[in-house]
Amino acid sequence: MSANSWLATGNFYTTYKQEQKTFSTSLDRSFFTLFLVILFAWPLLFEMSNKNMLVIDNILIAVVAVMGLNLVTGFAGLISIGHAAFVGIGAYTVASFCRTIGDTHIIITHFWPLMIIVSGLVGAGFGAVVGLPALRLKHLYLAIATLSFQMIFQWVINFASFFNQGQTISVGRVFWVTGKVGRDDHYFFWYYIILVVVVLLGFGIRNLLKTRYGRSLIAVRDNDRAADAMGMNPGLTKVYAFALAGFFAGVAGALHAYVYRGVGFESFTLHESIGYLAMAIVGGLGTLNGSFWGPVAIKYLDLQMEHLSEAMGQYLPSGMNLTTAMKPFTFGLVIVLFLIYEPRGIANWWRIAKSYTKLWPFRY
Amino acid sequence: MSYFFQIVVSGIVVGSIYALAALGMVLIYKSSRVLNIAHGQIIAAGAFITYFLTVSIGMPIFFSFIASMIITFFLAMSVERIFLRRLIGEPIISVIMVTIGLGSILDGLIYLTPFGSENFSFPAFLPQEPLSLGGVSISWTQLVGVIITFILIGLFSWFFKKSTIGISMRAVSDDQFASMSVGISVPKVFGLAWATAGLSAAAAGCIIGNITGLNFDTLHAFGIIVFPVIILGGLDSILGAVVAGIIMGLIQQFASGYLDGNFGLNGTGDVMPYIILLIILLFKPHGLFGIHEIERV
Repeated sequence: MSANSWLATGNFYTTYKQEQKTFSTSLDRSFFTLFLVILFAWPLLFEMSNKNMLVIDNILIAVVAVMGLNLVTGFAGLISIGHAAFVGIGAYTVASFCRTIGDTHIIITHFWPLMIIVSGLVGAGFGAVVGLPALRLKHLYLAIATLSFQMIFQWVINFASFFNQGQTISVGRVFWVTGKVGRDDHYFFWYYIILVVVVLLGFGIRNLLKTRYGRSLIAVRDNDRAADAMGMNPGLTKVYAFALAGFFAGVAGALHAYVYRGVGFESFTLHESIGYLAMAIVGGLGTLNGSFWGPVAIKYLDLQMEHLSEAMGQYLPSGMNLTTAMKPFTFGLVIVLFLIYEPRGIANWWRIAKSYTKLWPFRY
Repeated sequence: MSYFFQIVVSGIVVGSIYALAALGMVLIYKSSRVLNIAHGQIIAAGAFITYFLTVSIGMPIFFSFIASMIITFFLAMSVERIFLRRLIGEPIISVIMVTIGLGSILDGLIYLTPFGSENFSFPAFLPQEPLSLGGVSISWTQLVGVIITFILIGLFSWFFKKSTIGISMRAVSDDQFASMSVGISVPKVFGLAWATAGLSAAAAGCIIGNITGLNFDTLHAFGIIVFPVIILGGLDSILGAVVAGIIMGLIQQFASGYLDGNFGLNGTGDVMPYIILLIILLFKPHGLFGIHEIERV
């Protein structure tokens, strides 16, 4: 380590312990702390409408889900086209509790952190079961297996009377130490809860990737035979990658159920699965910060397209349905352009920007 | 008993449509190892082009059928040229995602037209009275659709077995480097595979549109339902696509004919193919006629 970390031009690690630290310099740590403080403080400083707050909550829920997808698809290299189904399993865990014990039961309203964890565990269980084909299948075949899981999930939700045939199942308002969380505070309250969850899970992934369990994911992605020869168990690693992804998705689903105060079938369709995959790719597969960029970029784009097509709609003949047309069109265009021109995603821009500032002004 | 045969007949009708829809996907996979998720949208585009040419321009339906096949031929070829050609050699997830993105773009373009949201149907050009044979009825559109499907499948198999271009396509699917060394242009073959797939998709779209009516959601759903078919048949076998298409059609019709309404089940026809798909993937992932090249972990 150079004597003055401000002037360091590279990494000067001498022990493994130094390399495994979460923040390599104290500057890094203070920047990150500042960023977190801003994230926690800004809703207090600005007046936000409930509608905008919901959008932000939505983005953060997608961040949780995409972190899970990134673990299985980005780090472990197993393509999953059924991630929305796992999110749905989390949400429907909460919903089935609501159906059996009533949506204002004390377990739903007071012990919601427990519910979120239970949903995550149920998601993990389903993830492990769906991951079983990964023991035998690779690449394309695995992608199709997850796709069929998605279709079976949709059918079960759509036709089971226990799940209200896919119609909305309502979830009660929760209680905090100060009492019932009312209509005005609802989205603010959940913003903080989801933010805490995101930070915890983000650190979780960050630390996981430094243990043997996280490294084995990457080893199996890069070459599973070599990983086998090194003494890892590729099959077990793949199943547990799916289980981890299921856990993240389950947590995201439970949060979704609580934030929307209801669970409906249309939030967990194949289209949503593709959306999560697109977020992971646009953000950058196999990077942690990509899981944050992707949802922000895609959801923001969606929102802007809605505004744009609303603004343009009045100048066009009524037969042209611009609102429904613009969304899939730009969505597809963004995916294709990213894959062709920047397959490493926005995380790569972040990396470039970081290395630029690190070396500035003494570039090569 | 006639209920049973009625289900068999409708299963064969549905199945032969699946076979034709799956054919395009098999063609693309066979030569370029790409799984085209945008196939349903190309099917829909073919059907809508035929409708547009027939109703808005007033061409006879047979000519517009041919014309839309030619148009989608070039549409699919340009899709390959613009998007897929750049991704040769990229990891499989990129290629899958590009076809998903492509499907989304085509979705957007179709939603821009009135076809995206409304229902249409082709002008009737066949007798409306269904044929009836011993209590089993089949409508003329279904009968003609099945006949055209089998003619097309026969033509495609002949094309692959006998014609020089078809043989070079098979050569590319077998070994790209070896076929390059005997003077086959691999990128051209890829383009041609997409083009023929587009052509078969347009044909499938027209036949489906004739039988079920033109609705964008129904038409592009065919792009997903063909996955069980191509997996059952083996991803790279034309014969497999035909056999598996008919098996899937029969399974679907039998499921919705006998399971729905009993045991408190509903809509089993929609989910049965995927359950079968999972079972096949676990026990026989190369399908009925596919090449045994699955890499086991």
